[in-house]
Amino acid sequence: MSGLNEWTAALIVIFVGFLPNEVWRVLGVLFGRRIDEDSLGMRWVKAVATALLAAVVARLVLVPSGALVALPLWLRAGAVAGGIVGFLAVRRSVLAGVLAAEAILVVGAWWLGVA
Amino acid sequence: MTHPPRPPADASDSRSAYWFLRGMLASLQVPGLVLIVTFVGFGGLLHDLGFPVGAGILSTVLVWALPAQVILIGGLAAGSSLPALALAVCLSGVRLLPMVVSLMPLMRGPRPSLWRELVCAHFVAVTLWVEGFRLLPKVDVAGRPAFAVGLGLGLSLLSAFGTAIGFFLSHMLPGPLAVALLLLTPISFTILLVRNARHTVDWLAIGFGTAIIPLAADAPGGLDLFWAGVGGGTLAFLIDRYRPGRAS
Repeated sequence: MSGLNEWTAALIVIFVGFLPNEVWRVLGVLFGRRIDEDSLGMRWVKAVATALLAAVVARLVLVPSGALVALPLWLRAGAVAGGIVGFLAVRRSVLAGVLAAEAILVVGAWWLGVA
Repeated sequence: MTHPPRPPADASDSRSAYWFLRGMLASLQVPGLVLIVTFVGFGGLLHDLGFPVGAGILSTVLVWALPAQVILIGGLAAGSSLPALALAVCLSGVRLLPMVVSLMPLMRGPRPSLWRELVCAHFVAVTLWVEGFRLLPKVDVAGRPAFAVGLGLGLSLLSAFGTAIGFFLSHMLPGPLAVALLLLTPISFTILLVRNARHTVDWLAIGFGTAIIPLAADAPGGLDLFWAGVGGGTLAFLIDRYRPGRAS
């Protein structure tokens, strides 16, 4: 992404980020009461949205492009798995999950002497 | 919160300003603080991937949906094409529609106005949705649009602030804490996915989306998110629909 200046990046944010995302909010206002949330089409789009979010997480953790590369795969995946366990074990607390994952990652990175 | 007597008509502007400020103040509670931390993680990600900070903050205020922002910035770093990214961003935003539809009756106020509804709808995202259901019923019906916009703007500004902090913090943190900052986004999304998964189709979609990404990482044209999202989601949808022993 080197060479991307603020103005080009701002245009990308507006046309590739803001507008495609805002469409759903506008549709919600205009046609909200007429859209059947349980229709097959909406169920398919929701499944795609869920898979997409999982793919975003997997790309950040399994095939990262930044500083996380310095850590071994088992530590990155282990931290996320530990976060899920923490979330489920402590009354479905988001905070507990995040803290568990972060603790595993930081202690692991420190132990291995990387990052 | 007390309910003051209904103000006279000529005082409605000052009442709106009052509820707008009340909304902004209401953003300074635990959910707003959690948002700051989440966007500190996003700011760290911006820095890590070399995205300009001003445009990153602009994405927080305009896009105002972290999954879409991470798809955009992560996809640019991975070399995805802009049309493929726009499609992925668009598909990721579908969850906003039911949120807008369900919260709008509480935000609309007594006199319907399309522009006011569009402005209110812009601020709808998970946090405003949850906080809106909690706080708006206690607000005067006439003050609700102003309160919702104040709350949404307050949350947006806190998040923009968090984005900037995260970007500049990642220069200064020692190694293990800098990577901890980068884990904030994926771990909070993971927990969000697990928390929201109710049906078989959700778990299938999570599984396929995760499994396809390593396989599709080198997909030509930077279409890996497209294959994992659209391909994995479609597969999950079809398997769930036609699997044996399905109830309906």
